[in-house]
Amino acid sequence: MNNHQQNSIMQVSNLRLKFPGESSLIFKDLSFTVSQGEKVLLLGPSGCGKSTLLQVLSGIIPHSIEVPLKCDSIQLPESWGFVFQDPDTQFCMPYVDEELAFVLENLNVPRDKMGPLIGKALSSVGLPLPEQHILIQTLSQGMKQRLALASVLLLKPDVLFLDEPSSLLDPEGTIQIWDSVKEVAAEKTVIIVEHKIDHIADWVNRVVLFNDVGEIIADGLPEEIFDQYKQEIAEYGIWYPQVWEDYLVSTNFKEINTLRRQENLSRLKPQKTIIKLQDFRGYRGKIEKINIPQAEIDGGSWITIIGDNGAGKSTLLLSLMHLLRTTGQYELNGNLINLQNRKKSPPNELSLVFQNPELQFVTNSVFDEIAFSLRLIGLSELEIRTRVMSLLELFHLNVNEQRHPFQLSMGQKRRLSVATAFAHGTTMLLLDEPTFGQDARNTFAILEKLEQLRSGGTTIMMVTHDRRIVENFATEVWTIDQGKLVKMCASQNVSEQKREEKHCAGIIHTT
Amino acid sequence: MLELFTPHRETWLYRVNPALKFVVFFAFMLIVLFNQNFHFALNQLILYGVLVYSFSGYSWRKLLLFSVPIVISFVSSAATMMLFGKGVTIWWSWGLIKISEESFNYGLLLGFKTLSFGFISLVFLLTSRPILLFYALMQQFRLPSKYAYSFIASIRLMPVIVEELQTRSDALKIRGVHFPKGLKGIFQRLRMYTVPLFAQSIRRAQRVAVAMEAKRFQMGAKRTYYYPTTYERVDAVFVIVMVVSFASALVLSVR
Repeated sequence: MNNHQQNSIMQVSNLRLKFPGESSLIFKDLSFTVSQGEKVLLLGPSGCGKSTLLQVLSGIIPHSIEVPLKCDSIQLPESWGFVFQDPDTQFCMPYVDEELAFVLENLNVPRDKMGPLIGKALSSVGLPLPEQHILIQTLSQGMKQRLALASVLLLKPDVLFLDEPSSLLDPEGTIQIWDSVKEVAAEKTVIIVEHKIDHIADWVNRVVLFNDVGEIIADGLPEEIFDQYKQEIAEYGIWYPQVWEDYLVSTNFKEINTLRRQENLSRLKPQKTIIKLQDFRGYRGKIEKINIPQAEIDGGSWITIIGDNGAGKSTLLLSLMHLLRTTGQYELNGNLINLQNRKKSPPNELSLVFQNPELQFVTNSVFDEIAFSLRLIGLSELEIRTRVMSLLELFHLNVNEQRHPFQLSMGQKRRLSVATAFAHGTTMLLLDEPTFGQDARNTFAILEKLEQLRSGGTTIMMVTHDRRIVENFATEVWTIDQGKLVKMCASQNVSEQKREEKHCAGIIHTT
Repeated sequence: MLELFTPHRETWLYRVNPALKFVVFFAFMLIVLFNQNFHFALNQLILYGVLVYSFSGYSWRKLLLFSVPIVISFVSSAATMMLFGKGVTIWWSWGLIKISEESFNYGLLLGFKTLSFGFISLVFLLTSRPILLFYALMQQFRLPSKYAYSFIASIRLMPVIVEELQTRSDALKIRGVHFPKGLKGIFQRLRMYTVPLFAQSIRRAQRVAVAMEAKRFQMGAKRTYYYPTTYERVDAVFVIVMVVSFASALVLSVR
């Protein structure tokens, strides 16, 4: 410990901090020291204050964000860089070169030295763009995060603060950003807050574990912490490396699997077809964005849609909801829909959950939010109350029913948006990356709810990048490539089950 | 959208210091606003028309498209004044409508002013990159950097807001929200759109601001510029051409 203090690069002792409007302190006498060259990973449940601690140690609190805080002593690093969570809200200039130049301007670097420095920063994070004057919005999310890293490298920081830099990235982007971090930060002190720790668990050399009231409950070598505090880590919803393996052997998932097997065995005649598509195309403006040559959707199936960014996955969902201009044949429950009709409203049988739940809320309380569509179909208030209460129960939303939807946590907002979509009894639920950016606990909770709906007869169609969800929950996988549905197949898990079924049937036959 | 605002060639007007161009055009606008002389207004209109249609570097098709809203506002402002303006020498009247010589002339004058306003704004917008305008305003006119960069950052966030507006409208359709007709419906619509969009925008703006400060942006601090802007020969040419043509517009109207 003495050694720690001698070459500490930053430290804070007895930190107390309270956000205005919150009733309790985030930290109560927290002391924390980081020494030169350490790679520290901060872990803990959402809302425990890890990100706040990063902002305090960098001085963003209280210099940029004014929050009252108190501490006995604080030592801030002399030079530091900060990469934030959201790739879309950390740039202020439209073009890549201008953004990097902005940092150099702030540092008073003369104009003629900027060009080479920009090129060097870009290639050090693995973004050697042939043309640097390109729009940031044309980059993928993973590239944007690497650009953010490049821009802070221009500050020549001793310390790198990384606040969930990969939580809003797809698997490919996640690998890219961590590869770049490992490349550039070997000599630096790095403090990371992250839930998705697959790629860094073996790279960091110190892990600090917080509980939900912002106290440090463990601080040590990664192997020790991962070993001794496995239960806490799982409980906090952290995506630790074997999280899926552990989930697949959990009682919850085993139950799902057993139920599914029974369902499969009892399913003698094929399921009813809900949707039939033939030569179905969706357009944005005049440009064709999605093309489904032929497809059928069976009731009670769980379809996952996979494909590259911008391949047209979300466009497919919007087209099915009549939110874009479409042509071709679209048969819903046996009725052919007139696609020529310009003023069609979204079909009642289908409901869509967008990626950002906040844009989907229309009322000022959790109760009204679910009651909204029930009131539209003219149910009595008494009946509405019972239905809303059962839905709140079903989606595990045990909060004050008068709370404003915007005041919920990330996971609660997402569950509420699924609950509202489900409220008026849709037969098919379309979801655009419902588990995106969620911690492991929320992800499994959402997946379990969806499975519950599916076994009750609702058809699920969801866009996802997560291979493990596709493998373990989907019954069918659609692959979209460059605006075209190129492949439809049963999920691996399902085909395994089928094989087992045959096996079972064979045994029964011989006996 | 971006293609629409890409010129097919960059004329000399593009090389003029954008801040200088801004100030000169702004002065022209003030003169247009306060001028009451019919001939002077017409001459100015011709001058700005020539600027737009000959020196903006855009194809005729695009220029005609951009002119549509300007022509519409010309027709509406001129017609209103012509039909309902006061005057003594009556040409034609029918109920409330009364066209007199005075109202006709005044209507045309008003129309010319509207057209001139449109043309000046158009030629400025078409030949200037917003970023360079703010860089020039910082360097030549000492605009505080905090204002310049907040404008630049807000330009960057604009497309995101458009996208969110679209998503919100889709989401409202899916939730089955119907708005009543009339004033009540308009207010309800306003509330349904503004609350969530404002919430998103405020949060985004704050994040961008924190990120900018994390990159050591300091208000009022000395800084260098990635796009150094200066006065060059083309600026002198611009000022001379503008002054000469403006003076001839004035002289020709007095005679």
